[in-house]
Amino acid sequence: MVYSGKKASESNEAPVEPRIGVFICHCGTNIAGSLDVIAVKEYALTLPHVVVSENYAYMCSTPGQNMIHDAIEKDHLTGIVVAACTPRLHEPTFRTATANGGLNPFRFEMANIRDQGSWVHMHDWDGGTEKAKDAVRIAVAKATMLEDLYPMAVPVEHRAMVIGAGVAGIQTSMDLAKAGIETYLIEKEPTIGGRMSQLDKTFPTLDCSQCILSPKMAEAGRMPGIKLYTLAEVEAVEGYIGAFDVTIRRHARGVLTPDEAAARGIVGGGCTGCGDCSQVCPVVRPNSWEFGMAPRKAIYIQHAQVVPLIYTIDFDACVKCGLCETACGTKKAIDLNMEDELFTIKVGTVILATGYETFPIEEKSEWGYKLYDNVISSLEFERLICASGPTIGHLIRPSDGETPKSVGFVLCAGSRDNTGIGKPYCSRFCCMYSLKHAHQVIEKIPGCRAYIFYMDIRSFGKAYEEFYYRIQEEGAKFIRGRVAQIQELPNKNLLVVAEDTLLGMPVEIEVDLVVLAAAVQPTAETEVVRRLFGVSCSADKWLLEAHPKLDPCGTTTAGVYLAGVCQGPKDIPDTVAQAEGAASAASIPIHSGQVELEPYYAQCVEKLCAGCGMCVGQCPYSALSMIVADDGRTVMTVTAAKCKGCGTCGGFCPGGAIRMQHFTSPQILAQIDAFFLGGEQ
Amino acid sequence: MASAKAYKDAALSKRLADRSYRPALDSDPTFVGDVERISGTTAHLCYQCGTCTGSCPSAPRSSYRIRNFMRRTNLGLKEVSLNDPDLWLCTTCYTCSDRCPRDLIPTDVIMAMRNMAAAQGVLPKNMLGTVNFIYQTGHGVPNSDGNRAARVKLGLEPEPETTSKYPEYLPAIRKILEAYGTKQLADKVLAEGQ
Repeated sequence: MVYSGKKASESNEAPVEPRIGVFICHCGTNIAGSLDVIAVKEYALTLPHVVVSENYAYMCSTPGQNMIHDAIEKDHLTGIVVAACTPRLHEPTFRTATANGGLNPFRFEMANIRDQGSWVHMHDWDGGTEKAKDAVRIAVAKATMLEDLYPMAVPVEHRAMVIGAGVAGIQTSMDLAKAGIETYLIEKEPTIGGRMSQLDKTFPTLDCSQCILSPKMAEAGRMPGIKLYTLAEVEAVEGYIGAFDVTIRRHARGVLTPDEAAARGIVGGGCTGCGDCSQVCPVVRPNSWEFGMAPRKAIYIQHAQVVPLIYTIDFDACVKCGLCETACGTKKAIDLNMEDELFTIKVGTVILATGYETFPIEEKSEWGYKLYDNVISSLEFERLICASGPTIGHLIRPSDGETPKSVGFVLCAGSRDNTGIGKPYCSRFCCMYSLKHAHQVIEKIPGCRAYIFYMDIRSFGKAYEEFYYRIQEEGAKFIRGRVAQIQELPNKNLLVVAEDTLLGMPVEIEVDLVVLAAAVQPTAETEVVRRLFGVSCSADKWLLEAHPKLDPCGTTTAGVYLAGVCQGPKDIPDTVAQAEGAASAASIPIHSGQVELEPYYAQCVEKLCAGCGMCVGQCPYSALSMIVADDGRTVMTVTAAKCKGCGTCGGFCPGGAIRMQHFTSPQILAQIDAFFLGGEQ
Repeated sequence: MASAKAYKDAALSKRLADRSYRPALDSDPTFVGDVERISGTTAHLCYQCGTCTGSCPSAPRSSYRIRNFMRRTNLGLKEVSLNDPDLWLCTTCYTCSDRCPRDLIPTDVIMAMRNMAAAQGVLPKNMLGTVNFIYQTGHGVPNSDGNRAARVKLGLEPEPETTSKYPEYLPAIRKILEAYGTKQLADKVLAEGQ
């Protein structure tokens, strides 16, 4: 940790009389159109310590910034106030201008007279002007008391971690590893690949999903720069950007890799993926990867193309009969007494790529999912139509194994639903995969009819509208209307009831099979990981990006980035694009080698600290601890890099021993006084 | 459409009839193919944007909705399409065909349906009156005294260069109408008092 400079409060220089410069921004007509900027400028000159007051059309422009830096030189200013938009937008701009003028950049204070002023009081000229005067007076009061602060630079570990190994996590990890960063890829399932490996074909090109994904899976599995941990989950997180200490729980797999076997002194041992163990295993369980439509043994692999190709024991199902150990023979790959392993990895930045799952559609009972045999979900359809699936690609209806001759596709099954049961958002890729499904049934089953019940077809991506045209040309029937209910007939066929809103008539269509394009939601693990890393989520529970337009991969937690559907529904092209963006964003601090942290951390004034230690438990970031001071007393100390400057401890300390830099008690009291006393201090 | 419920009051029966459609019962799977063959346009590619109805000079003044006919074509609703009197409200101006974003020709879909309806003997009476006008004069709208006066005022001959001026060609026109059975159809339907 590098700490440069000295604390202003300990400066030996004689205190100088504050000299404040005030700059009022018009923001075009955003501010000047709703309040009297000239009156505010003239008012500022009447405030104590204000020696210069200016107004300008755009303070953020180069001439505007030059006004600040010229005034500092000419009028020997000690503090700058800009009354304009929000610190979130332009604090960095004006800090730089302040520094260019020769002042410490933290001697700048912003008064928000736009977002909290002219925009909310757009039609109240006098009131808006008075409020802007108040805001300027409060900012000036603080500016007279600002002190020099110096950002702290912390080194960044040359390693990254990616959580979730779907196509987003795989792409991010490969990009990071190729950029020379050692990357830890953590996956809760026994294999990498995620949802994309369960799909049959991808729209609009109709590439075989596994054919385009498995080369990436294989490459990720063997890249030296990627340390892959499957069947592993994040247990605990400590630290901050540059130095996250992430504790990983590696669940007991019961099977040794060749490397692990070698480490135990078993020469030429470890799992080779031969499958002899699985053949002799007497326990049969539903394969969750096939949504229970195929069986697997207690020792299993999910599918033929798993990476890594290592068998896994389901210890909830295993009866420990030992038949697999015998079958494995001299490879000695099986350890029925294996236990979970916990270890901690230090990384500089983290990318969350925890993906999605389908929402429980059975909660919308009108469609009869899990009630009627022949109502299936879209992911189940993917497995049934896939050559590597449980039926070797022969689409059947579950009730009798017959080939369906008519299939109904129900779009928006739970999406665009404000009842509280479904999801209010558009799940964004269901239109396109349902078009693909319609194509697949028309192609694979001659004479099969495909009915698509839709509200809107959202075919927005590159070559997507053309794909819609193609499916329409192939003869799929489009019925514009949301399916109101599905009834099962005695022959297990289904009667789909809707309104044909284009015709203005109710419609009932009898089909053999119904496929529900279910809404998607974040995985259950996303919430756990989100809390561990302190990342925010939006109202719909998707992880929240730092800015929806200008920082779509970042989060409000420095050093943590987002990739793929965990941030919101997106298709494969968008997921991979965001994954590459997240890899780029996450590699910047690592390649810079260090990051500067805002100097807003708490400080303990040791002579006031009673050593009660009550603040330590209050800190949400574990930044506080107790130490023995030079004089032998027990006092609190702050790990500055962990502190986010939230002020919880400072507000709480009964002895007033905790000082919040840039938000000191005298500074805040001066602002309050300025507001209530109208500048008469 | 599905069978109507039977009430003693015929008007009530009609009003309370089940108006939902069930493709298995109501639609003719060959209809869209027949329409496309006769019209020469791929009607099943219609995505129901409504540009056709929006462009239609007839729509604001009548109950005619060409988008609805396109929809019925794709659903195979043959009976309701061919028996709908609105089918005959198209002026065949082809504005919809000029503007269709999918490059279809809705007007020709209407023309195909009119052909199919006529083959079944379903035609409006005034249409058949026009057939008789053509049979008698060679014109759907024959020349009149008012028209002749207007032509003279404009410096034209009173009769245009048609059967009006050369009535000796009328037998040939009558032969065509007879050869295709149009005249016989008109006489038959009009005699039935349809």
